[in-house]
Amino acid sequence: MVTEKSIAASQGLDRAREVYQDRSRRVKELKDEGKRIIGYIDIFPVLEMLTALDMVPYCMLGDMNEPVTRADSCLPPMICPFLRSVMDSGLKGKYDFLDGVVLAHTCEVAEKMTHIWRIYLKPPYLHFIDTPHTTHPTALAHFKDLLNDFKKTLESFAGRELSREKLRSAIAAHNRQRQLVGELYDLRKPDPPLISAAEFVQTNVALISLPVEEGNELLRQIIAEVKQRRNSPARQPARLLVWGSIIDNTALFEMIEGIGANVVMDDTSMGSRAYMKLVELTEDPLDGLAYHYLVDLRSPRTFRETPLTENKRKDYMTDLENRFSHIRDYAKEWNTNGVILQVLRYCDTHAYEVPALSHYLDSIGLPSLYLEYDYTAAALAQLRTRIQAFLEIIS
Amino acid sequence: MQGGNHINFAGLDLGSTMTKVAIIDEDAAIIARVESHTGAEHRHLANKVMEQALEQARLSFAEITYVVATGYGRINVPFADRQITELTCHARGIASLFPSARTALDIGGQDAKGLKLNSDGKLVQFVMNDRCAAGTGRFLEVTAKTLGLELQELGNISSKSSGKVNISSTCTVFAQQEVISRLTEGVPIADIVAGIHRAIASRAVGMLRKLQIEPDVVFTGGVAKNAGVVKAVSDNLGYAVLVPEDPLISGALGAALLAKEITLKARARGEISPRARSTLGEATFFD
Repeated sequence: MVTEKSIAASQGLDRAREVYQDRSRRVKELKDEGKRIIGYIDIFPVLEMLTALDMVPYCMLGDMNEPVTRADSCLPPMICPFLRSVMDSGLKGKYDFLDGVVLAHTCEVAEKMTHIWRIYLKPPYLHFIDTPHTTHPTALAHFKDLLNDFKKTLESFAGRELSREKLRSAIAAHNRQRQLVGELYDLRKPDPPLISAAEFVQTNVALISLPVEEGNELLRQIIAEVKQRRNSPARQPARLLVWGSIIDNTALFEMIEGIGANVVMDDTSMGSRAYMKLVELTEDPLDGLAYHYLVDLRSPRTFRETPLTENKRKDYMTDLENRFSHIRDYAKEWNTNGVILQVLRYCDTHAYEVPALSHYLDSIGLPSLYLEYDYTAAALAQLRTRIQAFLEIIS
Repeated sequence: MQGGNHINFAGLDLGSTMTKVAIIDEDAAIIARVESHTGAEHRHLANKVMEQALEQARLSFAEITYVVATGYGRINVPFADRQITELTCHARGIASLFPSARTALDIGGQDAKGLKLNSDGKLVQFVMNDRCAAGTGRFLEVTAKTLGLELQELGNISSKSSGKVNISSTCTVFAQQEVISRLTEGVPIADIVAGIHRAIASRAVGMLRKLQIEPDVVFTGGVAKNAGVVKAVSDNLGYAVLVPEDPLISGALGAALLAKEITLKARARGEISPRARSTLGEATFFD
């Protein structure tokens, strides 16, 4: 049965908010039209390969407002609360509509959870990409082999070949999205920014819930709307950059932007990290994809070797520069006067970076505040005092 | 300069356990001070303690030039002109009481804070524990109850300790189990209490070390009234900490001083800082 194609009455930011509030609605419509919807987590699964086979990638998220009640049966308690929430949602049937799942070795918990997901939820298709943790040439070569493996299981599942032409076309579409998101980030440079961080999160979440072309159209609408808007966010005394764990919910930014700061830039898992670099169009598209998804994605889960000094030593400050100079560049370009280091409790990947990163930010004279929270709405009240005190210090 | 018109400032610190009010005059001298139990109905309490303080100072509310509210209940003060976090206010108050202070430890009923001050007495860094009872006044309350003692007796009793007892649990509830085990073993109560004091001091100083402690270290908050804990903190640091005569007032005092600062800055710019409210009323926005 062909369902009536729903024409989105709303556009731009309204549409983004709509999708943010009812994320799976569009993909369920597409599923009814015969499309295959493939779930994934974080930014390491290679989405272009799904798009190329006419499947719709759909990012799985947690739910900050839903108490985790089922995940305890298969996951230990002292691990990433975001992933526990995703697992909990899965166990509660929220992702039963998916035709398959692609997960990557983003971090230790994501890796373990892949296998647990397979056992407990038995998806019709599951592929695990064992993304390496270093950017050495041997790791890159190995990663390309892994992507070839992924191509094979995908082709088997799809029942057709994943051709280079289709892959190039998909890469072009996803690159277009990255460019458009880059334009949207640029609109946060003015003072005040033309789009609030909360609106940006809604847009972000909408993009990972829609097929790439629909996301691109939405972005064009949003960019045009934002450039002409009269109701921009109000100017505030502080402009902040937020670094750290995944932010898939507007609550934290709404709170910060309600107490005297504009959040104008981020370096977070689902934020700028996914969009700052384009996939290079190589002869064999897998080469460009492998490089992008291993080297271009700047996440603490990837170890970047710092070149040794002349006398074959490791220099601490050079290492800090190598790891964190992009944050200094963002701070300068987006004109921020403070950095919030927000880390989900038990996230070792981010927590281990904090001492070195704090030290680096001190050395370049950028004030920072470390916040740890547990992915619940209740946790935000305590953060409020800390953030307000931080703003009182820097303003 | 307006002749004959005195300007006065009020600071309210609404903590989880105690509510404190300080009224200062234009020379920053304290002319009224009230400390009262917050209780569960603190949203209706702010105006009552304010009235008490005004009576003490023999002033009407209209004669208060500017009011700053702080503490975790600061949003429940509808007659405040500004809300500033307790971190900034404590730093200000402590700096005025002890200009040599560079690090401050404040342990209240339900939280603990560490503050780093620069040579101008300004807050430059902070650390907070508001999630775990083990480093807070609650730890002592629970212990006193377990031992059948009054909270105020703990300091005195621990001074009679002669043996060393280690309470190793990091959790308030499990620490009480240890206390009871020690009691059944016949360990003197004084030694147990001293052990509890060392435990809370260890937690507090551990938190403070995240700030790179620099003397002089000032210790404030309700727990600073316990001489046993003061001694344990000093022993842990290796030098004496400074404790104000009234360890509870630094937040409210700092808030009042900030009220004065804000007003004088506004006047220097040619503005009269407007009162947010001219009448003293209860919080009604919950009803």
